[in-house]
Amino acid sequence: MTPLVLALPVALLAGAWLGAWLDRLVPVLWGRPAQGPFGPLRDGAALLARPTATTEAPDRLTRWLAPGTYLALAAVGLSVIPMAPGLAPLDSSVGIVVWGACEALTVIAVFLHGWSPNAPFPLIGAYRYVAIGLPVMLPSMFVLIAAALPAESLSLVQVVEAQREVWNVLRQPMGLPLFLLVGLTLTLRGPFDFADGADIAGGTSGQESGPGRALWQLARLTMLTAFSAMAATAFLGGPLGPGLPGPAWLALKTAAVMAVTVGLGHTVARTTPSQMLHPLWVGALPLSFLHLALAGWVAL
Amino acid sequence: MAVRLFHRMAARSAPAVFVCIGPRMQALVEGLFARAQSRRMESPAGAAILLVAGDIPRRAAVALDRIHDQIPPPRETVHWDGCDDPMTELLAAWARLMAGESGEPDRLPDDPPNPWKGHGDHGQGGEGMMGGVPYGRPMAMTGEDPRDGLKLDAYTMRVGPFAPMLPPGLVLELTLQGDLIASARVTEAPFPQPEDANAPRACAARLLRLLGLGPQADRLLRGTAPRSLNAVRALPVGLGAAGTGGDARTRLRGWLEGKPAEGPPPDIPRLLEGREWHEAVVLLNSWPPDTIRQAAEAAR
Amino acid sequence: MGGAVTLAAVILLGLFAVWSGCRVFVVDSMVRASFSLMLSFFCTGGIALVLHADYLGAATVFMMAVEMMVMAIFMIMFMMNPAGLNPMVMVHQNRLSIAAGAAAFALLAGAVLLSDLPDRPVDPARDTTANLGTELLGPSMLIFETAGVTLLAAMVGAVVLSSHRGRFGDTDAGACPPGLTEGGPPAGRRPEEGGGHGHGGGNG
Repeated sequence: MTPLVLALPVALLAGAWLGAWLDRLVPVLWGRPAQGPFGPLRDGAALLARPTATTEAPDRLTRWLAPGTYLALAAVGLSVIPMAPGLAPLDSSVGIVVWGACEALTVIAVFLHGWSPNAPFPLIGAYRYVAIGLPVMLPSMFVLIAAALPAESLSLVQVVEAQREVWNVLRQPMGLPLFLLVGLTLTLRGPFDFADGADIAGGTSGQESGPGRALWQLARLTMLTAFSAMAATAFLGGPLGPGLPGPAWLALKTAAVMAVTVGLGHTVARTTPSQMLHPLWVGALPLSFLHLALAGWVAL
Repeated sequence: MAVRLFHRMAARSAPAVFVCIGPRMQALVEGLFARAQSRRMESPAGAAILLVAGDIPRRAAVALDRIHDQIPPPRETVHWDGCDDPMTELLAAWARLMAGESGEPDRLPDDPPNPWKGHGDHGQGGEGMMGGVPYGRPMAMTGEDPRDGLKLDAYTMRVGPFAPMLPPGLVLELTLQGDLIASARVTEAPFPQPEDANAPRACAARLLRLLGLGPQADRLLRGTAPRSLNAVRALPVGLGAAGTGGDARTRLRGWLEGKPAEGPPPDIPRLLEGREWHEAVVLLNSWPPDTIRQAAEAAR
Repeated sequence: MGGAVTLAAVILLGLFAVWSGCRVFVVDSMVRASFSLMLSFFCTGGIALVLHADYLGAATVFMMAVEMMVMAIFMIMFMMNPAGLNPMVMVHQNRLSIAAGAAAFALLAGAVLLSDLPDRPVDPARDTTANLGTELLGPSMLIFETAGVTLLAAMVGAVVLSSHRGRFGDTDAGACPPGLTEGGPPAGRRPEEGGGHGHGGGNG
């Protein structure tokens, strides 16, 4: 553990704010009035000014534990990512597996968030998210293992080092698009927002208000930050780059991935869950096998 | 100082409103929120202000009171008859709430519909692990599955008349197995709406919102074509096929081109049985509200 | 110093694992039981992390998260009392279970106490993940790969079987294969009256 851990909360909050602002900026492309950088802070204050809603016989502990876990998972996921070449807040030799564990636990956090209020629509959102979330995790694992192949290591520090010559996005062109599907799922966005959709009246967060809702939204945005940083590290060379210091490069690339993720979330329509399972199992999974095989061949 | 700043910021956020739409008001309300000065929340729990649009018929009065009480206090009600702009009133109510004023008390007694006590070894009202009416609620027991033969627990609930994903006024009694509708019954038909609610643009916007494209739907309501990669293709082929009228996909494509939908009203119970919730909601919104009203009148 | 911290961490994680394991039998809901069990497994993963088996620790957390999620869904799906409204008894066949539990505990504790545990401190710089990989993909490759591919095939097979959309149309639409001649009767064998599931002797 290095003193860089102290930078984590700052990075998470800054990323959450940027994500929230992008969420309000992207609809400007469709003619919505623009919102200044204080828009997310105002909406956050409005949420915090409201009381927490109650439901009949909820699981009170889990109701707070679920968003808390989601937030913690984003923090742990970000902590294994090197902020400068060779320097991660938590230098784990198996950083990619740690990130994979965070992904898998996100499904549980979202499920429990829908389960704990004891209400029908949140519960439908919870089950549906699990049905979509688990098949999305499988390609994610293959994509991440492929990203580790050129480095011959599961450590993200090594994964970055191995991209000094060529970024993984060029060596493994299918990796980033497949990983973006994972990002949309992890952050409950657009085509993969099966947990909090409009058809189930807000789904898992439909019964939330006040600080509980604020915590859930914050957790979603911090997960967006952690995911974007992970994508930037695994495919865009992370903190590597000329001129600017490492953290600045990482922040720039993270912001770029974040903008693409938010943009996709606002342009791609969500299909029905049963229809979605088809491309996931028949399209994304075999594609990720092929991707892994190609990446292995290139790495040899 | 900090507290004052916090309240000022909260008050400058857009008002969080839940709308109960009465007869003749649907298109007006949708147009109001497309102008984006306030947020239409998907559930009462997330809102602070109840906007009652139009004269709510007597049969929906209790439901209106229940929704009023589901908005966490402090809350305010704003009535709108569709003549002048309600924004000033909404903003004033929001400013009062954010300044910490107490708002309105509950309209109904806050008792659980059944006490969490009863007969049995533990006061649960049932015997053993199955059956009975534990805590006054009929135990969910396994029922025949309409789709794949899995005998799962059936759960009956009533949705409407102000559910944001259904035509206003429609009340459905659904028996669900997970998110699969095992049987459906129409108990109340939607309120009558004038022709503007059936306009192709309004219908397409409703569907787009359900597919997760809220800002695009607003854009469409303001009169510009939406930009999405797959809005039409997100609807499964053959979903809601009705003779000459085509399926939901053809109807959405027609609406986006400005053509009104044709075809006879569907048989709602038969249409919904065996569908999962997302499909069912898309189906009900893939006909103009007027057609759904005729279908509901016939099925009641 | 480092040794004492490690020992304390192992003891604490072990105690939490036992406590959350006990919760599995006390709570009255399948979801709570599943995720209590998951916490218990996480503690064992944590012990592996404390003992510098990084990959095994992280992989335990990762695997258990997915497994317990699937288990929770299936348990709720096939439960007769999904909401836990009636108080549930989470234990059955108490005497037999107590005897089996006590015997297993005695056996394992005895094995720990009686066996001569190896005491070979490993160089902290040694890459245990690489060692594990060499073991799995070296001497044990055949077993490992066979198991892995079988599991994946089973998973894909389960999804195909439960899919609503089948090879010959939707399952609830009475899907049947196309005929061998145009407009002819469906190819392949046909199920007996009343569905062909498990009645046997349908294909004369």
